[in-house]
Amino acid sequence: MKTIALYSIKGGVGKTASAVNLAYLSSLTQPPTLVCDLDPQGASSFYFRIVPNKKYSSRKFLKGDKKIYNNIKGTDFDNLDLLPADFSYRNLDIELLEEKKPQKKLKKNIEELNTEYPFIFFDCPPNLTLLSESVFTASDIILVPLIPTTLSLRTFEQLFEFFKENKLDTSKIRGFFTMFERRKVMHREIVEEYSGKKRFLNRTVPYNSEVEKMGIYRAPLNAVRPNSPAAIAYQELWEELMGEID
Amino acid sequence: MNTSLDPLFFSVSDTFDLPTHFKHPGISFSFHAEPVKKETLHCYDTFDWKGWNKNNTILLYRRRLNIIDLKNGREIFSVSFRKIPQSFFPNDVDNKATASKLFNLSKLRAFICYGSIETEVRSWKVLDENQKTITSVELRSIPSSNEAQKKLFVKLSPVRGYGKELQAVAGELKKHPEYVGKTTFTDFYKAVLAAGGIVPDNYSSKPFVKLKPSNTIQDSARKLLLSTFGVIQANEQWIPKTIDTEFLHDYRVAIRRTRSILAQLKRIFPPEKLSRYSQAFRELGKRTNNLRDQDVYLLQAERFRALLPVTMRESLDPFFTDLGNRHKKELRAFSRYLVSEKYRLLMQEWKSFLSNDMSSDPAITPDARKKTSDVAVSSIQKAWKKVIRHGREISRIATDTELHALRIDCKKLRYLLEFYASVFPANILRMVVCQLKELQENLGAFVDLSVQQDYLNDYLSNLQCTAENTPFAASIGGLVTALYHEREQVRMNFHKTFDKFDRPETEALFNGLFKKNR
Ligand SMILES: Nc1ncnc2c1ncn2[C@@H]1O[C@H](COP(=O)(O)OP(=O)(O)OP(=O)(O)O)[C@@H](O)[C@H]1O
Ligand SMILES: [Mg+2]
Repeated sequence: MKTIALYSIKGGVGKTASAVNLAYLSSLTQPPTLVCDLDPQGASSFYFRIVPNKKYSSRKFLKGDKKIYNNIKGTDFDNLDLLPADFSYRNLDIELLEEKKPQKKLKKNIEELNTEYPFIFFDCPPNLTLLSESVFTASDIILVPLIPTTLSLRTFEQLFEFFKENKLDTSKIRGFFTMFERRKVMHREIVEEYSGKKRFLNRTVPYNSEVEKMGIYRAPLNAVRPNSPAAIAYQELWEELMGEID
Repeated sequence: MNTSLDPLFFSVSDTFDLPTHFKHPGISFSFHAEPVKKETLHCYDTFDWKGWNKNNTILLYRRRLNIIDLKNGREIFSVSFRKIPQSFFPNDVDNKATASKLFNLSKLRAFICYGSIETEVRSWKVLDENQKTITSVELRSIPSSNEAQKKLFVKLSPVRGYGKELQAVAGELKKHPEYVGKTTFTDFYKAVLAAGGIVPDNYSSKPFVKLKPSNTIQDSARKLLLSTFGVIQANEQWIPKTIDTEFLHDYRVAIRRTRSILAQLKRIFPPEKLSRYSQAFRELGKRTNNLRDQDVYLLQAERFRALLPVTMRESLDPFFTDLGNRHKKELRAFSRYLVSEKYRLLMQEWKSFLSNDMSSDPAITPDARKKTSDVAVSSIQKAWKKVIRHGREISRIATDTELHALRIDCKKLRYLLEFYASVFPANILRMVVCQLKELQENLGAFVDLSVQQDYLNDYLSNLQCTAENTPFAASIGGLVTALYHEREQVRMNFHKTFDKFDRPETEALFNGLFKKNR
């Protein structure tokens, strides 16, 4: 089992769009795949038209095992399942505090799913919290989408610092650029300088209004508009990532 | 509540339809109909129905090869498969996991297309208020020669996490005026097979014949020979089609069994008939010897190659090409023989001999009226004693001739145990056969390896002494050496294996068999 987190301290950088599309691609090549929506706003659940069961909550999520298992839902796509987020997930951070080893909680809770899913994706909320720390331990790869701006790079550096200070494995972190606009000088310069560097993936995802329309399609872009520029970029990004995993 | 992922099956009557909406307490659904489609289901299985016997349905449709659990209708594998072959081998499937699943069902047999059934499908997606698919409904009609008997099945496919919704939809279907009843995937598949006139599981290379211990041996022998004749007939028309090697193999085994019964039950058939048929079946068997040998080499091509260092493998290719050509020629000749008048008459005559009343004149057939169980016990006892006696006489070095001879003794014993299986307690018999099998495997491996070496040596001595042939000869030489070492290993294991067979525990098992029938 490989676990991939889409994570960033910053909001609105394309975590959810990337999680949904990459997970869809994974379900085609490495079936079956699971998406865990960890954001109380439930954006990825929304994209798949899935609402959690009425009795599902952050407490159940923390109990793990059967509680998680029974709340996984099949999407409209073969071999792609989702554990929806409930609004109560906004309390996860506080609730995690009560746990004995909050950092290890998520890793432990998904162990059961090991045999069933070769790939699990986490769609994370922005911010750096206890939940994020739990995600860091549970993930094999931490994919960080960045809009090519100096500010984004700064937060990326902050994440690194945090990892080092807390003796976490920095080699898990991989950045990649999203919403790239060629006509912007700053975007061009940053992408040229960074993509392909040790901590970054080569492939960038261009700014593409089709991504915004995912809210209307309510489906992965790669499923409904596979020839759109962003879908092609995600396809190539996934191939690049797979090439590194093998 | 745990969500079961088994699809649900219902049978319905002809006018079945679904509304666009329905409300259930607390949930409301909409049904979205998709256009009616024709869909052909291609049913595959091995000739001996290995899939069916292990509850695996192999169905090709929508350009996908599907392995479905016969008991619950769950898809075990579904992989893209873009041809509709008359038959295929597991290796022809690109997906590794699927190929190995099929290979585990049958190592040597091909999967044959037993029939292609054209069905008509209407499907609906069932959506909740968020337009999320919570289940899909499929109405499939399976044709029948009689329009009135056309069968209609509804399949509800579950979506993970929507068990409650699935049950609600199922509940709604049950209220439907066209609802007939709950059914299963097994029934569905049986209906598909019936529509194609396919009878599953209608072949066994070792038909079980229920003998009555108190019947005369003549009567029992005829029954055994008739069922063995059935195996001959079942296979003969398939041999020329080169689908897999097992048709010829089973055919040959049936001939050998026939010969074995004739040889061991001498005084129960009229002597002149006996010698006529013994001779005829011996000749028939002989006609297939080369074919079988070639089959074995071709099956082992990969193993043979692997025995050689990588650099020498390629020079072996001409050997296999040559073998392939010879095999084709030989098969053509034998296929012609199978449709010849001579063969037809022999089979016809044999069948009528077995089906008609026979002389029970004690002067001609003195043993014909003996009790089946008595003959069973005495002949097995004799054959077993013979194996023990000959086995113990085998020298320390265990010569080729000694091992060859013992192998034949064991085969005879094995056939007898199989013939009379129905008069002995099944559990003891199974253990006895198990013991014997181990010994037979050792001897079988030994003889096979010997035959292979002889064949290669023969081949080598007929090879022209030219420069081009040098690497080829070297490869064959290398192969002979490798096979020689393997065989000597097997020879070394013989005494240990035989001692395992020749011990008080096995003896007790045999005596257990006999006691029950005394
Ligand atoms: N490549 C792109 N081109 C154009 N728009 C994009 C692209 N990627 C994402 N967007 C849009 O940007 C917005 C934010 O994207 P998304 O929701 O994926 O980010 P996020 O990091 O998950 O945000 P949050 O932090 O709120 O969870 C969305 O409206 C999305 O449609
Ligand atoms: Mg998001």
